[in-house]
Amino acid sequence: MEQIIIQDLTFAYQKGQPILNDVSLELPLHKSILLSGPIGCGKTTLLKLIARLLPKYGGDCSGKVNLPQGQRIGMLFQDPTMQFTMDTPRHELEFTLGNLQVPHKEISNQVTTALNFVNLQEVANQKLTTLSGGQLQRVALAVTIAMKADIILLDEPFSNIDEGNRQFILQKLTKLQKKNGTTIIISDHDLHNYQDFSQLVVQFHNQKAELLSPQDSQQLLKSANRTHANRITTSVPEASAQPIVELKDYSVIRNRNTLIGPTDLDFILNKVTLLTGPSGAGKSTLLKSIAKLTHYSGKITYAGRNIQKTFPGKYYSQVGLVFQETNQQFLNVTVGEELSLSTENGQNPFFKGKTPQAILSMVGLPDISNRVVYSLSGGQRKLIQNLVMLMMGHKLLLMDEPFTGLDHKSLQKLLTVIKQSRQQFPQTLLIVSHQLDYLNGFIDYHLVLNHHQLSYQGGLHDESQH
Amino acid sequence: MNPSIKLLLLLLISLEISFTNRLFVNLILIICLFIVLIFNKLTWHQFCWLMLIPLIPGIAVLITIGGYGAGHDWLTGWSMVSRFYVYVFAGGVMTFTTSPLTLVRSLEQNCHLPSKFAYGTLAALNILPQIKRNVSTIKVAGKMRGLDLHWWSPTLYFKAILSAIRWSDQLAQAMETHGFREERPRTYATLIPLRWVDWAILIISMVVLQILLIALP
Amino acid sequence: MFRQFHLKDIILLAIIGIVFGVIYLATGLLYNGLTIILTPFGYGPMANDITLGIWCMAGPLAAFMLRLPGASFLGEFLSAIVEMLLGDQWGVTTLLSGLVQGIGTELGFTLTLYKMYNWITLLLSATTTTILTFSWDWFRNGYSHFPLSMLIVMLIVRWLSMFFFTGILVKLIINLLNRSHVLTR
Repeated sequence: MEQIIIQDLTFAYQKGQPILNDVSLELPLHKSILLSGPIGCGKTTLLKLIARLLPKYGGDCSGKVNLPQGQRIGMLFQDPTMQFTMDTPRHELEFTLGNLQVPHKEISNQVTTALNFVNLQEVANQKLTTLSGGQLQRVALAVTIAMKADIILLDEPFSNIDEGNRQFILQKLTKLQKKNGTTIIISDHDLHNYQDFSQLVVQFHNQKAELLSPQDSQQLLKSANRTHANRITTSVPEASAQPIVELKDYSVIRNRNTLIGPTDLDFILNKVTLLTGPSGAGKSTLLKSIAKLTHYSGKITYAGRNIQKTFPGKYYSQVGLVFQETNQQFLNVTVGEELSLSTENGQNPFFKGKTPQAILSMVGLPDISNRVVYSLSGGQRKLIQNLVMLMMGHKLLLMDEPFTGLDHKSLQKLLTVIKQSRQQFPQTLLIVSHQLDYLNGFIDYHLVLNHHQLSYQGGLHDESQH
Repeated sequence: MNPSIKLLLLLLISLEISFTNRLFVNLILIICLFIVLIFNKLTWHQFCWLMLIPLIPGIAVLITIGGYGAGHDWLTGWSMVSRFYVYVFAGGVMTFTTSPLTLVRSLEQNCHLPSKFAYGTLAALNILPQIKRNVSTIKVAGKMRGLDLHWWSPTLYFKAILSAIRWSDQLAQAMETHGFREERPRTYATLIPLRWVDWAILIISMVVLQILLIALP
Repeated sequence: MFRQFHLKDIILLAIIGIVFGVIYLATGLLYNGLTIILTPFGYGPMANDITLGIWCMAGPLAAFMLRLPGASFLGEFLSAIVEMLLGDQWGVTTLLSGLVQGIGTELGFTLTLYKMYNWITLLLSATTTTILTFSWDWFRNGYSHFPLSMLIVMLIVRWLSMFFFTGILVKLIINLLNRSHVLTR
């Protein structure tokens, strides 16, 4: 048997809400396979079922996942920081080899081989907590090498990783496959730049998954790579425009590498600024710097005052951050409690006097006030998160990927709410987003972070969509 | 010295002096522990820290026993102060000379601590920076919604525990993916020797301590 | 009858131990401040009794989350271990205190045969913890040399601290966790 056979597979984390429904697939070994589909469609679930982590770690499962005998599985996880036991790359590799009962005398050599393969000898004894996401994924790859894995599963491995490290990992995987016939299965919501790597694509849609033919797979990857035009018209801010936040000689250095070079820049009061750039460039870091959640060099001022000299209580009543990780925003249990907290403490006049039901219906949600917020789907949670932060009425709202997991209808409704709210309460928005649909006309300025530099874009230009 | 034996010795000393109250024995112990620390490159910063920690509780106990206790027993008060210093110096010897990893490896290999306890604890310790960041992010998330979360706010613990549940799940899955199985024997990259010298130091130290306790006032 | 502790449970309890440790750091100041304020009245050591409940929260919380024999002990003892490994100021005696606190919090659940998880169990656990830790401090912190009247006040204060932190606060946290259905046992 030279296939991973998946038969009539149905899986649900919560009863009655299957994430995969009656899926049957035959995945050939020794190939590079890409699992594609939007966030939350069941790609991770399928990988974990293949790795036998599910249903062991929760959920209800029916149907079969059959692997050929004796195939050893290695895996790279979505969150690079939460996949290690030990403190340094060397110790982690030693730990892995010890688990596999490799004799004491051979461990040291095998560790060196694995480290050499991913070119990380220099940081072998450094703390993992000081390494970048890209380096961490390389350590995780080294672990699969040390394990001599026959199948390597990669779950959204590149979501916060710079292009250099992504290319490096893909190149090493290609080498492994050519040399050892390793089976490689990657899940990614972004099909960009896979045309030279992946041979087959599995498409996820409505709790189903379908394996495309090699021709169709190539077709899909090529078309994904063509930049389909997404026109956004913006201009460069005028010199006289009033700033709300000023960066002065601002720079960020991580692990001795420059993430953002020394920058002087203004963010304009009561305007919507979009920030784009390749993944891993430091967009989230910039938002977190302004939110005083990470350290940086240089000076950031808000309304003319150094933000480090403003009291936190006062600062956070004026500056808010919509976290990339949705759940971090919530403080209560039910949707109703989240909304009423923002009604009580919020300042945005647009939402004043509106009932929770009315607010929910504005973004197309039914009355789910009594639902536990953590049990909702990713898209629903994202909508609620955006609502509770808009209701607070911060003068400056930083939004880190606020549209992730939203379908087109919800996205349009949310944008309408933001526009209406801004007519009554013109707040400053700084948005980091990969998702650019429907944003034209909504955005005033467009800032790009690339090659460690921040710069405003002027005129009409095409932004390749990821 | 073998980390497990070292821990056992320090625990026995701490336990024994908790039930005895001899100022001179405590002073001798402090000097011995201090010498061990000096040989292990004690920095000035660490020394000041060790001297400072027991100061406030020490003075408090001294005043309570000497000033308010029956018989105003200042000697007992002082021996209590010296006892606190023994505790802290013994703690310093452990934490300044042995890394958590070495101790855990020794407990696994020499004391047959089940590996799930050894590596489960290490995995948690190694995400300390993320845990710290998470706690401060929760506080900021609260402030952004007009809520001040203090150390007595249930919400702060609730949110932190939600993250803990998610992380423990992720880490356990990752460990399993890296070949770890709860009941399966493992091999070791670094062997922690347990020599007769270690046992000898333990036994001799304890004998000397007993003699001192009997001989000195 | 009861399942074993799995790797996941152990990591969870260790992380909770660290979380509590990180939050307690703020209370170190409180402890020292209280000691300084109370010392002139001869009640300096009572700062220990006032704040001790904070240190004993991990145990009952673990017991309610996992509902297993030994969970409370393990939760409390593991948090003592991680505090020692993180370089806690009291070093190895943290382990001894953790042991005593662990047994103390566990006893409340043992006495109800691990069948009841409600207010009565929390009250029992707070009481057993008070008794055991007080006996330990009788030796460790020299309570045997304190005047009797003071000891009675300190015992009552300690029980109140236990009741407030390991009772009320733990119950409030557990309520939030239960309502969000995140505890899969």
